Amino acid sequence: MSQVSIQNVKIAVVDGDLLVRDFVSTVLMYCVNRDVLSFDNGMAAWRYLEGADSPDIIISEVDVSGLNGFELLARFKEKHPAKKCLLMSSNPDDEKIARDSGADAFLAKPVSVTDLFRVVEAFVV
Amino acid sequence: MLRTGPSSGEIRNMSGEDIFSSRLKLLIIMAKAYLTGCPIGKYRKQAIIENSRCVFYHSLQLVNKMASSKDQGLKVQACTVFADDMHEEHIFYQRTLLLAVMAKALAQGRLKGYFREKALKENLNRIREAFIFNFNVKDVKCLKVA
Repeated sequence: MSQVSIQNVKIAVVDGDLLVRDFVSTVLMYCVNRDVLSFDNGMAAWRYLEGADSPDIIISEVDVSGLNGFELLARFKEKHPAKKCLLMSSNPDDEKIARDSGADAFLAKPVSVTDLFRVVEAFVV
Repeated sequence: MLRTGPSSGEIRNMSGEDIFSSRLKLLIIMAKAYLTGCPIGKYRKQAIIENSRCVFYHSLQLVNKMASSKDQGLKVQACTVFADDMHEEHIFYQRTLLLAVMAKALAQGRLKGYFREKALKENLNRIREAFIFNFNVKDVKCLKVA
């Protein structure tokens, strides 16, 4: 598993549920001591991710409006194959699709603090 | 592919209670990390303040909800055991409120001195007696750098 440097890591969180999005962002911001971008829908996230200054890691809910998590994953991986895309879901059927689609991680909900710490330990030095 | 979280049979949407419980766990980690000497950078401070705010307001809501249940006489019919449970729950949420205040103070550099740190440790221990959560800050590499 390739890793990115913690000094430069840039993370984006995409989830339509404000409480979940804020919680995930707070944990990651605390863990990496960097600002964390957050988006409430897939299209807004994609508009930002298309740019040159795109994040190193995106963590997206599968069931999100605009572009869903799988569509976002496909576009992001096509443009930035080396960067990491992690999917969160409350639907067990999404796990296999996430694996087949090339997601770097699948975070089953409810997501815990230790799950997010594990993600940082796995993808950020 | 890395896989985290519950097994497929236990996957579900996150409720308000899930978020509160997770944020409280995060606050405990934040306080323990501070007591262990982990560095606090600019964004970590921001995250502590934001998390403290969320835990504070959720705890306050729960305290008010309990008080209003009591006012409506729901406790009148209850047996002593239930009254004791309510009392313990009330104290627990008062302690989570206190932890939120303490965590905000530590992020702002206002939790200085032996007795304040002792009070923080005691409050953490009391909360963890009721809220079972085992986590070793030393196991998380990223907390050692800011």
